[in-house]
Amino acid sequence: MRWIALTVALLALALPGIASAQSNEACLACHKAEGMKVVFPGGGELSATIDPGRFEKSVHSSFTCTTCHTEHKDYPHPGLKAATARGYSALAQQICAGCHPGPAAQYEGSVHGQALRKGVPDVPTCSSCHTAHAVVRPKTAAFRNETPETCGNCHADAAVMGRYGLRPVFQSYAEEFHGVTTRLYRLVTPMSPSPAAVCYDCHAAHDTKSAKDPTSPVSRQNILTTCRNCHKEAGRFFATAWNEHQPPSLRHSPLVYLVQVFYFFLIWGTVLILVALAGLDLRYWARLRWGGRRS
Amino acid sequence: MSDRNSHQIERFSFAQRAEHLVLLVTFNVLMLTGLPQKYSTTGWGEGLIYLLGGIDQTRFIHRTFAVILMLHGLYHLAVVTATRRRPIRRHEMSLRISDLRDMVGDMKFLAGWSEERPAFGRFDYRQKFEYLAVLWGTVILVVTGLAMWFPSLVTQWLPGVLIPAARAAHGGEAILALFAVIIWHFYNAHFRPDVFPMDPAMFTGKITLERMHHEHPLEYEHLRRHGLLPPSEGGAGDTPAGR
Repeated sequence: MRWIALTVALLALALPGIASAQSNEACLACHKAEGMKVVFPGGGELSATIDPGRFEKSVHSSFTCTTCHTEHKDYPHPGLKAATARGYSALAQQICAGCHPGPAAQYEGSVHGQALRKGVPDVPTCSSCHTAHAVVRPKTAAFRNETPETCGNCHADAAVMGRYGLRPVFQSYAEEFHGVTTRLYRLVTPMSPSPAAVCYDCHAAHDTKSAKDPTSPVSRQNILTTCRNCHKEAGRFFATAWNEHQPPSLRHSPLVYLVQVFYFFLIWGTVLILVALAGLDLRYWARLRWGGRRS
Repeated sequence: MSDRNSHQIERFSFAQRAEHLVLLVTFNVLMLTGLPQKYSTTGWGEGLIYLLGGIDQTRFIHRTFAVILMLHGLYHLAVVTATRRRPIRRHEMSLRISDLRDMVGDMKFLAGWSEERPAFGRFDYRQKFEYLAVLWGTVILVVTGLAMWFPSLVTQWLPGVLIPAARAAHGGEAILALFAVIIWHFYNAHFRPDVFPMDPAMFTGKITLERMHHEHPLEYEHLRRHGLLPPSEGGAGDTPAGR
């Protein structure tokens, strides 16, 4: 009797998987075709092509398509609820929020969530960072080490940032100690999570706030506490090492800038003098060897 | 008269040659592990860090050899202090007005404006400049390197901006040292026509009497007066060369 019960239990466990595989196959029969897209009447388009290989590697691979796309059980599908691609992404966040209420609530209060409600077109939604169909576990080394590039999709772009009075910060981060370490971890040891701070370690992942917001972890009042999350022994002046993602100039970190200028002239001045000295010496040897007006 | 071209006289003691070897090894390892960190965005920088086993290992090797360099520096300062009153074979590295005069005179001679070459002592102005550059460069690199290694400690007392400033200075000083070695040291110890392909004195510890007389006439005279040269050189004593 026991083995019958076991078989039933195993079948019960396996069946949803089989069922989902079958139903996903039905969807993929159409949606794996290359170049499928939804064009929104109010502007924008979204790809409707699903790469089954990528989806199977995602953290949601055990889901059926209709777990999220509940209204698309039947064909033909119901009409579009959103007028624009952006509107669709915003609506899709409610699907994520169904299972992930915590991060969703944090996002609502973040600088990104607030801007989304004001209709700012460039604001990231869940899928901007996590993708829609290739979602990976955010605790993986790969996701952590890719974070600067994920945020950099917008925060490296001077044109996008300029629209909101912001500076692109990615390039400066990439040259900082944290950025160098993180990039090298990604390139050389991609399976190890970078021990150096990535964007969300200081700015928080879902409740990101403007650095000018006093409640932000990187505001003037809070930044030293934030540094001490990792740099436990950080001295009281530690945070003043911080260059605010600004390349050094006379206005920002003038000391660093002056050191750079000093070494630029020192290095090239020294090179010139040493080459001249070696040249002068060689001239002497050449005259000794091949003669000249004076020997 | 003995053959001055084959008679060798000690120029560097075993301990001094060992110091040079330590400096040679640490310099190369520190450059090999430091430059790819400075230029980590380049293909070769990434490749080197990959070969070294990642950034953690690269930093570990860099800091290990930095500690060796620091210990060597302390040893060197101790030796210089301990031997500063020795009559013979002193370090004689401090710059004097005469060195500047020598430099100007040597420039004139090399340029062909003067027939007479200045007479140099145990170390000529080029060797003194190079030595002092190594000394000063090591101090800068050690101080800035330690600041980057222990930023939490430094910022207990000092403004934080010193940390990124130290990082800029560390990289600048390293490039300066690299160029100084590649251009100046390599020229004088390797590519100069009379020593090409390599001046062996720093490894054998010896140079010929002829060369000492030619390149370091003041030291030659000094040794001769103290009877440290063979009697054929007209020295006061008959002790063997070098002692």
